[in-house]
Amino acid sequence: MIGYILRRLAQSILVVLVVTVIVFILLHQLPGGAARAILGPRATALQVAQFNTANGYDQPLLIQYFRQLGEWFTGNFGFSIKLNQSVSSLLAQRLPKTIVLSLLSLVLTVVVAVPLGIYQAVRRNRTFDYVATGLSFIFYAAPTFFIGIIMIEVFSQNLGWFPPEAPQSNGVGPIFEQFDAMVLPVVTLALLSIAGFSRYMRSSVLDNIDQDYVRTAQAKGASPQRVLYHHVLRNALIPIITLLGLSLPALFAGALVTESIFNFPGMGLLFWQAAQSSDYPVELGVVIITAFATVAGNLLADVSLAIIDPRVKL
Amino acid sequence: MSDPGRAQVDSLGEMPPPEPAAAAPTGLPVGQAKSMFQLGFEVFIQNKLAIVGMVVLVLAVVFCFVGPLFYHTDQVTVNLLTTNLPPGPGHPLGTDETGYDQLGRLMVGGQASLTIGFAAAIIATIVGTVWGAIAGFFGGLVDAVMMRVVDAILSIPILFLLLFIVTIVRPSIPVMIFVLGLTAWLVPARLVRGESLTLRVREYVQAVRVMGGSSWHSVLRHIMPNVIGTVIVNATFQVADAILLIAYLGYLGLGISPPATDWGGMLSNGTAFIFTNYWWLIYPPGILIIVVVVAVNLVGDGLRDSVEVRLQRR
Amino acid sequence: MALLEIRDLSTDIALSKSVVHALDHVSLHVDAGETLGLVGESGSGKTMTAMSIERLLPPGGHITGGEILFDGEDLVQLEEPRLREIRGGDIGMIFQDPMTSLNPVIPVGDQVAEPLMLHRGLSKAEAMKRVVEMFGLVGIPSPLQRTRDFPHQLSGGQRQRVMIAMALICQPKLLIADEPTTALDVTVQKQILELVDRLRQEFHMAMILVTHDLGVIAGSADRVVVMYAGKVAEMADVHTLFAAPKHRYTDALFEALPERAAGTGERLYSIPGLPPDLVEPPPACRFAPRCRFAVDACRAQVPPMTRINTPYGPQEFACFVPRTTPLHEPEPMDLRTVVPEVARVEPAEVGGRGWVAPTTFIPADGVPILQVQALVKDFPVTAGAILRRHVGDISAVADITVSIPRGRTLGLVGESGCGKTTLGRLVVGLDVPTGGKILFRGRRISQLRGREAKEGRRNVQFMFQDSYASLDPRMRVRSILREPLDIQHVGTPRDRNERVDELLAAVGLPARAAERYPHEFSGGQRQRIGLARALALQPGLIVADEPVSALDVSIQAQVLNLMKELQRDRELTYLFISHDLSVVRYLSDVIAVMYLGRMVEVGPAAEVYSHPQHHYTRGLIDTIPIPDPVVERQKAKLGVRGELPSAMNPPSGCRFRTRCPMAQDICARVVPPLQPGGGSEPMAAAEVEAAVASAAARGTVPHMTACHFPINGHSAADTLVEGAVSPVA
Repeated sequence: MIGYILRRLAQSILVVLVVTVIVFILLHQLPGGAARAILGPRATALQVAQFNTANGYDQPLLIQYFRQLGEWFTGNFGFSIKLNQSVSSLLAQRLPKTIVLSLLSLVLTVVVAVPLGIYQAVRRNRTFDYVATGLSFIFYAAPTFFIGIIMIEVFSQNLGWFPPEAPQSNGVGPIFEQFDAMVLPVVTLALLSIAGFSRYMRSSVLDNIDQDYVRTAQAKGASPQRVLYHHVLRNALIPIITLLGLSLPALFAGALVTESIFNFPGMGLLFWQAAQSSDYPVELGVVIITAFATVAGNLLADVSLAIIDPRVKL
Repeated sequence: MSDPGRAQVDSLGEMPPPEPAAAAPTGLPVGQAKSMFQLGFEVFIQNKLAIVGMVVLVLAVVFCFVGPLFYHTDQVTVNLLTTNLPPGPGHPLGTDETGYDQLGRLMVGGQASLTIGFAAAIIATIVGTVWGAIAGFFGGLVDAVMMRVVDAILSIPILFLLLFIVTIVRPSIPVMIFVLGLTAWLVPARLVRGESLTLRVREYVQAVRVMGGSSWHSVLRHIMPNVIGTVIVNATFQVADAILLIAYLGYLGLGISPPATDWGGMLSNGTAFIFTNYWWLIYPPGILIIVVVVAVNLVGDGLRDSVEVRLQRR
Repeated sequence: MALLEIRDLSTDIALSKSVVHALDHVSLHVDAGETLGLVGESGSGKTMTAMSIERLLPPGGHITGGEILFDGEDLVQLEEPRLREIRGGDIGMIFQDPMTSLNPVIPVGDQVAEPLMLHRGLSKAEAMKRVVEMFGLVGIPSPLQRTRDFPHQLSGGQRQRVMIAMALICQPKLLIADEPTTALDVTVQKQILELVDRLRQEFHMAMILVTHDLGVIAGSADRVVVMYAGKVAEMADVHTLFAAPKHRYTDALFEALPERAAGTGERLYSIPGLPPDLVEPPPACRFAPRCRFAVDACRAQVPPMTRINTPYGPQEFACFVPRTTPLHEPEPMDLRTVVPEVARVEPAEVGGRGWVAPTTFIPADGVPILQVQALVKDFPVTAGAILRRHVGDISAVADITVSIPRGRTLGLVGESGCGKTTLGRLVVGLDVPTGGKILFRGRRISQLRGREAKEGRRNVQFMFQDSYASLDPRMRVRSILREPLDIQHVGTPRDRNERVDELLAAVGLPARAAERYPHEFSGGQRQRIGLARALALQPGLIVADEPVSALDVSIQAQVLNLMKELQRDRELTYLFISHDLSVVRYLSDVIAVMYLGRMVEVGPAAEVYSHPQHHYTRGLIDTIPIPDPVVERQKAKLGVRGELPSAMNPPSGCRFRTRCPMAQDICARVVPPLQPGGGSEPMAAAEVEAAVASAAARGTVPHMTACHFPINGHSAADTLVEGAVSPVA
C-alpha cells in the first residue's frame, strides 16, 4: 500500500513537472517574452533589456527553466500587471473561495446524482427513467452559462427567491453568512455534473445487476433491497471515486464560467479578468495552481480507491 | 459410419446452441453475406434516437449554410435605428443591440459554431490518433513520456488553456479551429493508445507473428481497422465538445471577433439584457446550442452501438 | 414421497426479437437423500432447469407452465417472501465459477454468514462462529484468518470451498450444484466432488448435480436425467444408464467419448450437426435430424416417454427407435436408416491440384521434427515503490528436453499453471526462451534472420484455445485464411483464393463459409477455421493449445477426428496441449507430463497411461473421472492432494514433493534426473542417448521418469492407499 502510494506520488510529481515545462513554454510564446509580460506593453526596449539581464532571461533556456521552477516552488508567481499585487497573495485570497464553491457543488452532485442513478437503474426503461435520461442529455449539452442565465431569470428576477449575484466580501466566512446568494452558483455548477454522474451511476448499477454474484445473493434468499444496497452498491460506487477525480478539470472550468456569471470573486473570475486584460503572470499562476489541484485530486482519488477497493493491485 | 473415411461435418444450415443470456446468432443464412459495415448500418438505423439526431443535425447544417441563400440579411453594417427590436414583421426573431437581424445572425453564428466544431474535432482526432498510436505501438519509455505529457495537459482545465491562448493570438475562425483542435486531442490519444495496447495482445494479432508477419502488418490489418470504430465514435463526441467550448469562449468575450460571431458570443451579448426581457436575444442561441449538441451526442451513441455490433452478436 | 417434483415445467426466455423456449414440459423428481445427475450439452436446458427451481432465471426468463413441488409447496406459485425463506435456507446452490459468483468487495466470511443472519436470525458474532466451523468442515486451512479474506486472495479451489460452505451453512434439504467443478483443475475437481459427497451424506441432503461431464456423473450420481434441446431425453439410475442406454442421443453421446477409443485410436463417433433452434422447435423428436436411426415417425411426431423396469429401478426414455442391446454389445448394422441429412455437406469445389497433400514432404530421415533442449523460461517479477527492482522469477519452464518424431503427436498434460502453454508458445516463437534451444529439423529458427526467419516460421503453426479470440471479428473467413498466404507471398492472388477453398474443403466446411464472419459460426466450426488457418502454410508441426476444451463432447469428437485425419493425410506432427488426459490419451502417440515447469514423465502414450512411474502422473490418472459407474466407484479415493504451489519460489529438489505421498529427505535436496526408469543416480549420458536412439528407430521415445522413488510394477500401488497419504496444507 505504501509502495503504491509512493509510486503514484512519484508519477504525480512527474506530471506536475511536465505542467511546469508546458507553462514555461507558454511563457516564452508570449508576445515580447516574459519581460513584456511583466513590465507591460509600455516599457522601453532598454527597460526590457535591463530586465532580461537582471532576471537572467538572457541565459540559456534550460537554466532559465530551472530558475523559474525554483521561483514557482517557493510560491513566487510574479506580480500582477493590472492589480498591482503579487500573484501569490491574489491566489491566497481567491483560491479558498473557489474551493468552497467547487466542494459545495461536488457534494450536491453526489447527493443528488447517486440516488438518482440508482433509482433510474432500478426502474429502468420506465417513464421516470426516460424522463431523467432525457433531462440529463439536455443538461449535459447545455452550456453552464445558459443554465446560469435561466437560473437568474427564473429564480432571481421572476420569483425573487435568491439574489442574482454571489457574496462579494473577502474571505470564506461571509459565504456562509449570505448563503442564499450561494444557492444559484452552486446549483448551476452542479447541474452539469449531476447529468454526467447520474448517467454513469445508472450504467454502473446496471453493469453490476447482471453479475453472477447478484444471482448468488438471490440464491441465499436476500431480498431485492438487500441485494441492491448490500451487494450491488458496494461494487457500483467504487468507480464513482475515480470519476470524482477525473471530473476536477471540468469542475474548475465550470467554476470559471459560474464565477463570471454570478460575479463570484474566486479564482475563476480572477483568471477571466486577467485574460481580458492580458495579465499574464496571474493567468500563468492560476494555470499552475489548477493543474496542481487537479493532479492532487486525482492522486487522492486513486489512493482512496486503493483503500476502499480490495482488488486494486498494489 | 457408412463412409468412415469422410469427415463428419457440422451443417451450416443449422443453428448453434442458443445461449440464453445473449441474442442467439442466426446461423448462416443462405442469402448474400452482409459486410461488417452493413451490419453496423442496420443497427444504426434501428436506433430511432440516433436517426432523430442525424435529422436534426442535417437540418441545422441546412439552416446555417443554405438558409442565408433564401433569407438575406445584412450582418455587416451596424444599424442603430433598428436595435433590440422585438420579433415582428421583417424581423421574425427581432434584432440585437447593434441592429443585426437575429434570425440571420443565428445562421451566420451557426456557420462559425458548426464549422469550428467539425473541423476542430477532425484535427483533434487525427492528432490524437497519431499520438496514441505511436505511444501504444512503441511502448516502453516513448509511451511513458508521451502519456505523461497527455496527463499533464489534461490536468490543466482546457478552458483555462484556451483562454490563455486566445489572449495571445487574435481569434478568427481558422485560428479557433487550430487552437481547439490542438487542445482537444488528448482524449482520442488516450483512447487509441489504450485500445492498441489491448489489441496488441489479442490472439489474432499474436497469430500474425506465428505466420511470420511483421508488426506493421498487424497494425495495418488488425489494430487500425479495430481502432477506427472507436475513433469515429469519439470524434462525434469531440464535435459536441468543440461546439460547447467555442460557445464558452464566445460567452466569455474571447471568441471570434465581431462582426463575425458564433452562438456563444450571441448569447453573451444577450445576457446584457437579461433584466430587460429581451428573450429573443437569449433563448434562440441557447436552445440551438443545446439542440445541436444533444443531436450530436445521440448520433454518437448510435454510432457506438453500431460499432459494437460484433459484441452484440456474440 | 419425493422431496422435489417437477411436473411439465416450461420456461421461456424473451430475447429482443424472439422467444427461446428453453424448457418444454420437463418432468423429474428428486428423492430425499439422493443425488440426481442432470446431464446435457450446452443449450440442453440443464442449467435452466436448475435455475427454474428457485426462479433465479436470467433477464427475460419466465416460467410459462408446470409446477415445482418442494416439500409440498409449489415454488412456481409461491409468493416472493416465502420463496426467499427457501432460497439459501432449504435449498442451497453452488455455481460454476466461484470467482465471479462471490462478491468481490465483501470479505468471504461475511458472505458465508449472510444466509445464517437472514434465515436463522443469528447475530453477526454467532454467525461468524458458525462460519469458522464450516470453513474447517469444508477443508479451508486456518479458517479464522480466511474469513477476513476477499475472494481474489483465495485460490480457485478454496473459493469453491467457500461457495460450498455458503450453500450448506443453513443445512438445506436440497443442494443444487451447477457445474461445480468445470472451472477447476482436474486434481481439485476430484477433491471438491469428494467433499460435496461427504458433506451430502453427513447432512442427509438430496442433491441435483448439473454437469456436462459424464465421468463426474458416473462417480457421483444415483440417478441420471439426460436432457437434449430443452426436453428430458432419458432418465434412469446411473448403472442402467451407463450399461444400457436407450435413447439414441444418450447412445451417441457415449460413442463420442474419447475414452472409448483410447487404446485403439479408431475414429470416434461424432454426432453430426448442431442442436436445434429453440425459438421454433419442430413438433417432432428434436434429435431426429442428427440421428443415425431416425425413422419417419421421429420426424413427424414428438416421441412419448416410454417406461420400462430394470433390476435397479425404472428407466424412462422418449425415443421411437431405442437401442436394442447393452452398450458393450454391438448392434446389427441394418438398424441404421440413413446418414443424417445434415451430415451431407457438399465440400467446396476442389480443382485437380491436390493441394491437400503437402507439396514439401518432410523426408523420413529420422531427424526429429522438433527437438527441445534444456529449455528454460523465467518471467521476471518486479516490486518496489519507484525503481522497480527484480525480486524473483516465475519459473514457467525449467530445463525441459523433449523431441517429437515426424508424423506423431506429443500430448502435453498438466494442471493449469504447470507451464504447458508457455512451452507451446516458446516452440512457435511467441515467447523468447531464457535458456536452451529449440530445433526444428535440426535448425534453430530463432537464429535465422530476415527472409529465412520468415520462411522458417511457416514450418511451425499454432492453434489457439479460444477460437473466438483468435479470429479477427472484422475479417471474413476468406481474409482470415488468406492472411498467412499473403504474409508469406504464397503463389499469385488467384492461387491464394483457390487455396482458401481447398482449405475449407479439407476441414469440412462448405465454400460459402468463406464469405462469412467468425461470429456467424458455432464453436466447433470456428475451431475448424482455426485449424484451416494453421494448415494454410503447410507446416510440418502444429502446436495445438487446448483446441477442444471449450467444446461439447459431440463437437469435440468432430474436431478430434478431423485432426487425426489430417495428420494421416499430410504427415502432420502435433504438439497437443491439454489438461484433459483422456483426450490426450486418445490423440497422442507420446505423452509428456509437466508439473510446475518441469517434465516429470514422458513416454509412449499407452505405457504412461497404463504403467505410470511418477506419483504425479499416477495421481492425475486416478483423478480423471471415468464415465463408467462401476470403475469410477471402485477407484480408491486416490488422487493428488492440495493445490499447485506458486511457481515464483518452486519447492527445492523435486517440485512435486510437497504433494507427494512418497516424499523423502532426498526429494527436497536433489532434483531427480529424467531418465529411463527414474531413480536418483543419474545414468551415463551415453546410456540415455542409446535408449533414445533405439526408441527413435522404432518411431517413438523411451519411457522416462524424473522421480527418486518411481512406481514400478505392483509394489507402489499398495503404498497409495488412502491412509498413507499425508495431507498437505
